Order: sequence, then C-alpha cells, then structure tokens
Amino acid sequence: NERKCRVWRCEDEVGGVEMTESGAQLFARLEARRCLKDIEPALFPADGGPEHGEVVELHGTEGTGKTELLYHLLCRCVMPAAAGGLEVEVVFVDTDYSLDMMRLVSVLDSRLNAGTHRPAPSVLRSCLARLLVVHCSSCSQLLLTLHFLETSLSSRPSLALLLIDSISAFYWLDRCEGGASVTKQEEKLSKCADLLDSLRRDYRITVFATCHAIRRNYSGQSSSSSSEFDRPYLCRSWQRLVNHRLLCSREEGTSNMATAAEGSEEQRRRQVFTVHCTSSFSSKTKSHRSSSFYVTDGGVKLI
Amino acid sequence: MVVLREGMCPGLDADLVRDLRAADVKTVEDLVSSDTEDLAQKCSVSYRALFAIRRVLLAQHTAFPVSGADLYEELLSSTAILSTGNSSLDKLLDSGLYTGEITELSGGPGSGKSQVCFGVAVNISYHLKQSVIFIDTTGGLTARRLLQMLEAETSNREEQMEALQRIHIFRLFDVFSLLDCLYSLRTGMLQQASVGGGSVKAVIVDSVSAVIAPLLGGKQSEGMSLMTQVAGVLKTMAKDFNVAVLVTNHVTRSSSRVQPGLGVSWRHVPRTRILLERVEKAAAVSRSSMRSATLIKSSRQLCHKTEEFDLQRWCHSEGPSAKRKLEDMDS
Amino acid sequence: MQRPVSSLSLSSCVKVKLVGAGFQFTADLRHLSPQQLSKGASLTQQEALEVLQAVTREGGSDKAAGAGGSSASMTALELLQKEEEELRSIVTFSSRLDAALGGGVPIGKTTEVCGAPGVGKTQLCLQLAVDVQVPPCFGGVGGQVVYIDTEGSFVLQRAVDIAAAAVRHCSLLVEDDEQRVAMETFSVDTVLSNMFLVRCHDYVELLAELHLLPDFLSAHPRVRLLVIDSVAAPFRRLFDELLQRTRLLNGLAQQLIAMANSHEIAVVTTNQMTTRVLGAQSQLIPALGENWGHAPTIRLILQWAGSQRLAAIFKSPCHVDSTVQYQITTEGFRDIDQSDQPQSKRPRMHNDQSAAGV
Repeated sequence: NERKCRVWRCEDEVGGVEMTESGAQLFARLEARRCLKDIEPALFPADGGPEHGEVVELHGTEGTGKTELLYHLLCRCVMPAAAGGLEVEVVFVDTDYSLDMMRLVSVLDSRLNAGTHRPAPSVLRSCLARLLVVHCSSCSQLLLTLHFLETSLSSRPSLALLLIDSISAFYWLDRCEGGASVTKQEEKLSKCADLLDSLRRDYRITVFATCHAIRRNYSGQSSSSSSEFDRPYLCRSWQRLVNHRLLCSREEGTSNMATAAEGSEEQRRRQVFTVHCTSSFSSKTKSHRSSSFYVTDGGVKLI
Repeated sequence: MVVLREGMCPGLDADLVRDLRAADVKTVEDLVSSDTEDLAQKCSVSYRALFAIRRVLLAQHTAFPVSGADLYEELLSSTAILSTGNSSLDKLLDSGLYTGEITELSGGPGSGKSQVCFGVAVNISYHLKQSVIFIDTTGGLTARRLLQMLEAETSNREEQMEALQRIHIFRLFDVFSLLDCLYSLRTGMLQQASVGGGSVKAVIVDSVSAVIAPLLGGKQSEGMSLMTQVAGVLKTMAKDFNVAVLVTNHVTRSSSRVQPGLGVSWRHVPRTRILLERVEKAAAVSRSSMRSATLIKSSRQLCHKTEEFDLQRWCHSEGPSAKRKLEDMDS
Repeated sequence: MQRPVSSLSLSSCVKVKLVGAGFQFTADLRHLSPQQLSKGASLTQQEALEVLQAVTREGGSDKAAGAGGSSASMTALELLQKEEEELRSIVTFSSRLDAALGGGVPIGKTTEVCGAPGVGKTQLCLQLAVDVQVPPCFGGVGGQVVYIDTEGSFVLQRAVDIAAAAVRHCSLLVEDDEQRVAMETFSVDTVLSNMFLVRCHDYVELLAELHLLPDFLSAHPRVRLLVIDSVAAPFRRLFDELLQRTRLLNGLAQQLIAMANSHEIAVVTTNQMTTRVLGAQSQLIPALGENWGHAPTIRLILQWAGSQRLAAIFKSPCHVDSTVQYQITTEGFRDIDQSDQPQSKRPRMHNDQSAAGV
C-alpha cells in the first residue's frame, strides 16, 4: 500500500489538500462513507436500496418526472440529519447543462421549512455547500473529469453520491463520430463506465445516473409497445454496471398537451408519475417495486 | 479527445511524444487512463516526470467542480428576467424570459411564433435597452415589421433607429451555418455585438426546426449528432454568457394529439415550452388575430395554463420596471 | 467550450477519420500542415486541404467578426435600409392584393399560392412572370424569371395575352423620355424571351433542377423571380413514403429560402388543397402536410366564395391576415371592379395602414 499512499499524496496536491495517512487510516475512512441504502425506501424493493458502490439508473422520456425525482433524492442527501436528511456530500456531473438551481433550491427550501421550527438561512447555504457541480461538454471531458474527481473521492469521506445527469448526453455524438464501427461508437462511454466501475469499487461510492429514452413512449396503447422505449441502448459495460433501474413513466389519461384545460392546480396534482424499479442482485435474482408520485411546488410527494 | 503534442505542458518534448505514440498513447485520455508506472517503464522516463505531466494535463482538461452554494449565489446576482412585452406571455413565463435558460415556442404554421419573436426582440431592444441577436432561418424577418412594431411604441425616430441598431440579425439557412454562427458568437462575437450599447441579453433562433428537421429521418446518427450540438452550444451560451435563449419549433400532429417537433431527444432541451395556437372562431369569415398560448413545460409554473392574446396588440404597459433582478422576485 | 470537428461542414467519412485519429476539436487542427494532417489521419492531400480550409474559415470568421464586418450579420437598421433601397416587390396588377401584401410579392422571400384547381393559381404565376419584367421606371423591377412547370399547365397563349395586356398598360402610362426608351425593349417578344421555362416531370427532376439552379442564377443575375407550379404534383407519388417526403420537403424549403435570400429573388410556389377530417367536420387545408406549412414565408390561399374569387393571406410575418376579392380576365389577374362589389364586402386591408402595430 506504500505506493498507493504516495499516489494519493501527490494527487491531493492537485486538489489543494495536503495530507498523509496510513493504509489503516484510509480503510477506516472509506468504511465511514455513509451508505445510501435508505435514501428513499419507497422506491426500491423491500430492504433493497442502493448499497455501497451500487449504480442506479433513472430511465425515461421528457415529462416523466425524472428531474423532479432526481432533485428529491438530491435534497434528501444534502439536508442535515436534524431535518431528516442524510447529510452527505454529492457531486453532480451535469452533462446536459440542465441543472435548474432555482428549482432545486425551491424544493430544498420547502422541505427544510416543513419541520416545526424554521431553520436559519445559513442551513440552506450549508446544504448547498454539500453539493459540488461540474459541467461536462463531451464524453472525453467526462472521462478526464472522473479521473480528476478521484482526488475528491479519496479526500472527502462524506462524499457519498456521484450523480450524472445524464449518462446518455453524448450518445449521438459518439455514435456519429464512431463511424460504422460499433466498438468505436461505444469506446468512450465504455471507458467512462470502466472507470466508474473502479471508482465505485475502490471508494464505495454510490452512483445515480439518468438516461433519456431515445424512442417515443407510445403509451395509451398496451404495455407491449412500451417495451420499445425502455429498452437499454447504451453500451454493454454501462449496462453491466447498473444494479437498480428506475423506469419513469407518466400515467396517461389525465392530461396531454392538446387538452389543456381549466382547473390546472387540480390537474397538476392529479398528474401521477410511476416509477418501476428493477433491482438485480449478485445472486442473479431480480426484484421489482412500483411506486407512484405526484409533483407539487415543494417537490415530489410519494403516494 | 485531445491529441498529445510537444509543448502542451512542461516536460512533454518531441521525444517523449514519439515514445508515447510508440506505446500506443496518442491522446490525453490515453495517457490519463493508462497505468503511469507501466508507461514510465515503457517510455524510459522517470515515474515522477510522467506523473507530473499526467497531473498537469488532467488539470488542463478536466472540468472543475463548483460548490452549489457559490453557484446559487452567482445565479441570484446574475439572473435577469426579460419581459416579453406581452402581459399574457409574461404571466405564463413567470414574468418573462429568464437568462441562462432556453425557452421554446412551439406551434403550427401561422400560429404567431415569428410575431412573438419580433415582439420580444423589439421589447428587449427598445424598453430594456439591451442588445438582441436574432437568427432567422426561415427568411421570415423583415426590418419593416420591426419598425412597425417600434412605431407603435414611440414616435421618436431616433429612438426607433437606436432600437433597431441593437437588434443584430443573422440569416442562415442550414445547420452548419447555424453552428458556425453560434460557435463564433461564443468565441467573442457576443461581446462584439454589445459594443453598440447595452449587452446582449437575448439570442432568438426562429426557427430551430427549419434547419434541423431536414436532417432527421435519413442518416440518423449524423442528424441527431448535429441536433445535440446545436442544443449544447445554445445551452452553454445561455449559461456562460447569461443570456436568454428563445427558439421556435414546429409541431407534429397524430390524431388529436399535438406534440412539439424534432422528436424525443430535443424534447428535454428547452426548460420552458409554450404552445401557440390560432383561436378559431366558428362563425368568423375573416381570420382572427387572436392566439392562445399554453404553457406545456415549466419548472416554475403550473402547466397547462392557457392565456389568449391579440397578435395585433403587442401590449406595452409594463414600462421600464419590466426588468427585475431575481432577488426582488424571491422576497 | 471547444468546437468539435463533427460540427464542421465536411463529409461524414472524413469526420470519422479525423476523430478516429484523435482530432476531436478544431483547435487540434489549427497548427497542422496539410501533409501532417493527411499522414496523421490517413486522409488524401485533397481531403486534408479541405479540412484545414474549413477550420481556417471558421477561425477566419472570428476575425471578420472582430473587425465588425462579418457578412452574415447586420443590424436591423442596416436591414431596413437594404429593404428600402434594394429589395422591392413584384406587383400583381391587383392593387388590393398589392396593398394587402405591402406592395406585391416580396423579393427575398418565399410565397406559396394555395388553392383548388381552376381558382387561378397558374394565372397568378403567369401574371407575376410577366410583371417581374416591368421596367423600373414604371415601378417594376425589370427582371427575368425562371418558371418551373411540373404539371404541364403553362399555356403559352395565356402568357402572350397577359404580356400583351401588360405592355399595353405600360404604353398608356408613358409620360417622359425614360419611359419611352424603356418601352422600346418592353414588348411581348422580349417578355417571352426573358422567361426561362423548365419542365419537370417528377420530384427527382425537380430536386435536380433546384440543385443546379444557383449556378444558373449566378450566370443570370437579372433573374428576380422563381416560379414552381406546382410543388405538390411531383411529390404526390411519394405519398406512401411519408417520412421520406417530409424530409425531402424540409430540405427543399431551406434550399428555396436560401436561394431567395442569396440571389435576391422572389420564390413563388403553388400548392393544392386537401381535405382534413377532424371528427365530424372536414376542412380544406393546403396539401403536403403541416410541416411544409412552415416552408413559405407568406401563404396566400385562393378560394371560391360562391361565384366570387377570394385571396386570403393566411400566414405572413409582416402583414395582417386579410382577404381581398379578385377576378381572372383575359388580360390576367385583376381587381374586381369597384362597382361590382357590394359595400359590405369591402376588404379589411384598407384599415391596415392605420391599425397601429401590425
């Protein structure tokens, strides 16, 4: 372990943190990383929340509540324990440039204020300080950034969640640049997936990633056709990584774009989103769980 | 991917680049991903030297994390809300176009998308005294129409001319020209355009579907890739330069459902989306200038809210207080 | 943010090779010589040269922009001056329609004329093909016309009749020497010799013709009008392959507007009407689908109302939607005589000058 420690010491200089420690200390520190098993029990199969080092994929088309769900989970992580949060740090890798800070803050704010006593304004700030945001504009930058983040992972034991929104952002770019060869098309994302694999193993960090469906969800028809839109299309090495797959969809029949109408408050309340979770365990067994939620101004409310 | 070149960072000389190439390490990614110790042996260079090179290259090419608290503070101080000049639309948009975001107007032919774009451009340049970049991909823009709209606002010829000077027009009819334009705006033109008084606060693309739609359906991946790039450069431009981006899109109709065009992958690009439709009066012989606007995507407002407005009367009662900082809103 | 190589206007196989060789961003290519690049990315010298040209063009536009002289950009004020000085409209010989359109069919835009068979679409096209040649001293643009006939509906005798009427009309207006001189070269013969007629039988021929047209227009800089009568006919055969049709039409639309803009010509297309069934109701709408509806800048719908012919501006970014009445005479497309028209049917366009804002 001698050399490994040397590596970390050097890398930490890049991150601006000077530190030395023994392998035993390191081990203790990694052990201390908070487990996110109880991040949102209602979403996952009984007793099956994400363990240390597990990968969760949120899959769905636009307008199926993915973003809201993501912010819900994010808030739970950064909120102080006193307010019912997990009080851990989160790295948000924003590849879509879609992080809506205003929305996130309003969700966070309403959840912090949900308690009996109003928290001080500094609480909101300290919650946000637990969030690290990084924007990536290409798959190769994502790869380099993940390499760079290794420093933060090793030096911050309270960092428990790596969030990637979205892992599918560069899919078409890579496909086009790869030409006719599928291996070439998938090369970059495969490299990222391999790196993620080693990061989660070495640092026991939990990874959440969103994935945009690239096919239309022709729901309203039978469920047989909906298998078309939820089919995984990203590279093999990513698929192998995923332990829990949350499939988001919108319950039809309440509203669509053409039939906009009066009573919108009611309607939005009634707009129910469904999440179907499939968890795979090492023993090759799978378990499922379906849950529903609706969205209010204050964020996700699970039913 | 960035190809390794001599002189990219201290210590990376021509010999080392050649040796690395021989070890099949051609790009920064290759170097960063490979085992440093192993590679040092292969290229007969000291571990320390190679490690230093790796560290510098990584720092050069990574994206740096920012604390959410800082990001929020920065956002609070920099975000502006630009009134569209139309009270109905402002109501749907929660007081106007937000800088840093993409807002989309979807609608069929003749639903008033271009008219709304003109109105927004005129309002921002005349009332808010800020510059606007207007990218016309359909040939629908005429300066005469902008002048007409300005004439309704003021009879002062000089003010009209000043406002017209703050609207910078690009006419581009294919996706590559659009990308050329957007990338060159990013690398400096945005500041250039603001020299004439007032900074660029809005970029309008009317319409984005006109240049992208011809690419879709054929050689899939290239069209999708170009669409992703247009989306990406618009989003980063909105964020990094703190401008409001307004785009227009057509709609597709299947049976009675109206969907925004360009397919599912475009769907999540705009943060806010408004559907424009003609208000058809059953008995009217002459065509009405009434349009309905329905909010169909928003993170701030309840969706499926509809407002009606008259295209002929681009309301202008808001006055100079229309531009507000976000902080006032929050309190 | 760096610009990816894949956003350059190059053939996709060249781009794949570049990226495969590790050149993902244009910045990686800037410092290279063609020899280095052709070796590094296994391209031919020619391809390497094209790539570097595309890269320097991109870099060059930055500099042009820095000097404030990028050709693509202008302020609205500059555009206004250009519109007032250079871009004029082609009169229709119906003063009411001209007024509703703000002076006629605008140059630099695309205009679509939709209508049922026999309502006068081709008549209007022929009229415009003659009108575009009216000498400037009579308020015309003195141009030439490219007339693409896809339905075989171009009737020479009608063109002769309309041309003769237009020549007669102008000769009656002669007041000064300039106009007298202009009339010497404005005759039925010259009018016909300034019409470049193209017959296309299917969409392949039409697309091929449009592909070659920019060169033709560069060689004939006096052309001010392109007529396609009609767009709908050649695409009718593609009705089963809706996706392909939509894509081809989308591309066609951009080609037309690009041509209208860069060669300063007016593009006039015609389209048929089709029935859309909405529940129990049926509605007559322009053919070729809703997507195509975005293509023309201005959409004019010609329709029957009893025995009257009406022209309605359905879509236009610069005009009020309005409806005017017209007639087709032996002389061509004309206003309906004032006396024939009941007072209640007076078109709304008389208000639009005064109606503030639009």
